[in-house]
Amino acid sequence: MKNRLKVLRAERDWSQQDLAERLEVSRQSVNAIETGRYDPSLPLAFRIADLFGMAIEEIFQRGE
Amino acid sequence: MVGQAALRRPVWLWGIAFFVGMFGTGFVARWIDLPSIPSALVMIPPMLLLIPFVRATERAQAECGALSPATQRYNRRGLIWAFAYVLLLFVAVAGSRALHAQGPLLWGLAVLPALPILYLIWAMARYLVEEQDEYLRMRVVNAALSASGLLLAVATVWGFLETFELVPHVPSWAAVPVWAIGLGLGTFFNRWREAK
Repeated sequence: MKNRLKVLRAERDWSQQDLAERLEVSRQSVNAIETGRYDPSLPLAFRIADLFGMAIEEIFQRGE
Repeated sequence: MVGQAALRRPVWLWGIAFFVGMFGTGFVARWIDLPSIPSALVMIPPMLLLIPFVRATERAQAECGALSPATQRYNRRGLIWAFAYVLLLFVAVAGSRALHAQGPLLWGLAVLPALPILYLIWAMARYLVEEQDEYLRMRVVNAALSASGLLLAVATVWGFLETFELVPHVPSWAAVPVWAIGLGLGTFFNRWREAK
């Protein structure tokens, strides 16, 4: 799955640590999701979407 | 300042100091045929190295963004396990010799070292329940599956070799260290895959 997390984070000038704290997850989790090594669960994907005020499909797309 | 610098030594250095200290004193104690109680006493200082080892591990976990409250609790429980295991193993070995234990007393003493292992199994289960970070939990579950696979493979192969009297008998408590080695290898594999 592809995602726009890194771009969205950069637009807000947040570090991975900032995003991790806002999502209440570890920095490694953010890094793993951003680099596509880990696809988040649906509840975490909703938390990410809520944080950015977007729909899940605007952040995560099908594909490698 | 010197103390602070010593505390910031890397994990591997504390790990080596701990293992060399434990095995070294154990080997020397056997070599000079030290009785049970002095043997246990000389192993206390290297055993205490486990505390800075765990602290250094936690610092490293924090620096790479992987230290969660559940991990911290698991680390504390791991320390409790280690000290309880050494203490109860000593009580079981020294007690059975000193008391020439038989019958129910021997049963009680023999099961003593297993109790901290049961606590460790509980601590691992609690970690998986308490870990709120799904990615960290997934990594531990993957490592635990690797460990279980390794244990099943080793136990199966060794069992048949033993059946055909090609290798000596190994006590079943050896399952725990084999599983722990598997967990370590699984964790190492996780890190290697992340570093790629």
